Amino acid sequence: MDDLAMLREMRADTPQPGAERMTAMQARLVRTTRRDAERAFLDRFSRPALLAGAAALMAVIVLTSLVSVRSAGTSPGTADGGSTPPRYAATTTVLEEAALVAEARPTTVSPRPHQWQYTKTLDKQALAGPGEETVQESWIRYDGKKAAGYTAGGKVHVSDIPPDPGDDDLPPVGYARKLRALPTDPGKLLTQVSGDRHWIDFPKQAPPGYESPDQRAFRVLSTYLRQQAVMPPKVEAAIYRALARIPGVEVEMDVDDGTGRKGLGVFKADPKDTAPLTRSYLILKPGSFRYLGSRMVWLRDDRSDPAHPISKGRSWVNAVLASGIVNEPGQRP
Amino acid sequence: MVDALRADTSHRVDDAELLRRSRDEPDEFAALFGRHGPELHRYVTRRLGDGLADDIVADTFLIAFRRRGHYDLTRPDARPWLYGIAANLIGKHHRAEVRFYRALARTGVDEVAETYADRVAERVTASAAHRRLASALATLSSGDREVLLLIAWADLSYDEVADAMGIPVGTVRSRLHRARKKTRAALGGIDPTAFEEVSDHG
Repeated sequence: MDDLAMLREMRADTPQPGAERMTAMQARLVRTTRRDAERAFLDRFSRPALLAGAAALMAVIVLTSLVSVRSAGTSPGTADGGSTPPRYAATTTVLEEAALVAEARPTTVSPRPHQWQYTKTLDKQALAGPGEETVQESWIRYDGKKAAGYTAGGKVHVSDIPPDPGDDDLPPVGYARKLRALPTDPGKLLTQVSGDRHWIDFPKQAPPGYESPDQRAFRVLSTYLRQQAVMPPKVEAAIYRALARIPGVEVEMDVDDGTGRKGLGVFKADPKDTAPLTRSYLILKPGSFRYLGSRMVWLRDDRSDPAHPISKGRSWVNAVLASGIVNEPGQRP
Repeated sequence: MVDALRADTSHRVDDAELLRRSRDEPDEFAALFGRHGPELHRYVTRRLGDGLADDIVADTFLIAFRRRGHYDLTRPDARPWLYGIAANLIGKHHRAEVRFYRALARTGVDEVAETYADRVAERVTASAAHRRLASALATLSSGDREVLLLIAWADLSYDEVADAMGIPVGTVRSRLHRARKKTRAALGGIDPTAFEEVSDHG
């Protein structure tokens, strides 16, 4: 008997799990994937956010003067879940500051079709325990046709991204085209994004009428804001001014992105929903208004999956740790 | 949730087709779990014990679900892809895995096997040959160990291991060669069954 045969005998009595256990796991998987698929288009947390490779020098804007303490309730955006009351910034003022900073950014050079966009993200699920977080490095080619990542063996693995006709997501070059075509007048921009057939008709699995034009405008503008590598400064400015016009949009201070970085949490409350289950923040770095990450916080106990209840105060965070444009997959900026 | 437990009625359809369908119909993905979940669970249990297997298998399939849009549809069998994802998750427990091998080599008690043994109180003692193999497994690099065990315990072919780990098949061969040099040396280059008898007296 050779070493390989001997190795095959080692722990060969390991059993397959029983049918009951597998059935329970499969049922749990179906519930999770359903929720995941739903969330994937309701809130595009998992999208790699693009940040420009060239860092722009930003005037630091002190926001403290804008702060007003509004309620003594719990603080949904902070990780500790509520010993301090949330502080809100004056929405219109902060978003106008953001617009001014954005307008002052230098225009970045468009990446070439075969350059790659690098993103390193940290993801922490709502049910994850302490220290249970996923840090991932990924590359997507500018034309969106290839993706790359590191394998367990430490090698770069490049794979093709097959076309997905039902998906609403765009390749980096697609976002660049869309952004360049947007009006820079905030009113016209709002009308444009809430009526854009692309975001109404896609993704194909979205039930018709699942969001109001206001909700759509907030979702689409949030998605656009994550595309900072291909963002024209004037369009970014118009996006902040347009966000300020959407009813229910507010800015909470000191929202943690899951890595300890605190930023401005832009969210949209639904004026008709008095007890929302969750709140989703787009977190911007104070001063530079660069995208830091996203946080979805549970405002009530969630029992939609009885096996995995999510208690009030938990959150799902996704932070961008690093990003940029590189020439080859595997390279870091 | 009867619909969640539906049988895999798509037995004529390959994994690639299943994954293609699951892009528009997320529930189709469950059939992939029915096909490969039990074997993968056994593999993870064999590496790390019963306690971590549920979580690692669940995470593997959830990650696979999220990446289903990136699956290379020209590959009919999704096993290498799934085992590649699982390898990453198993790799996070690399310290624990090595500790188990070292303990097994030193004491002869297999803590991993004890997690699935019938009688909880029963000490699972390994043969001398397995103790020696465990000590070799503990010294391998993560990459070499992954290749060796994907072949020996997951029954993947060289090509499938290359696919799973995103490395050329030549690298699979060289890693396997390096790993087996150590396992052979650990077994003393002699018939391990003979060795076992000798060792039982010592």
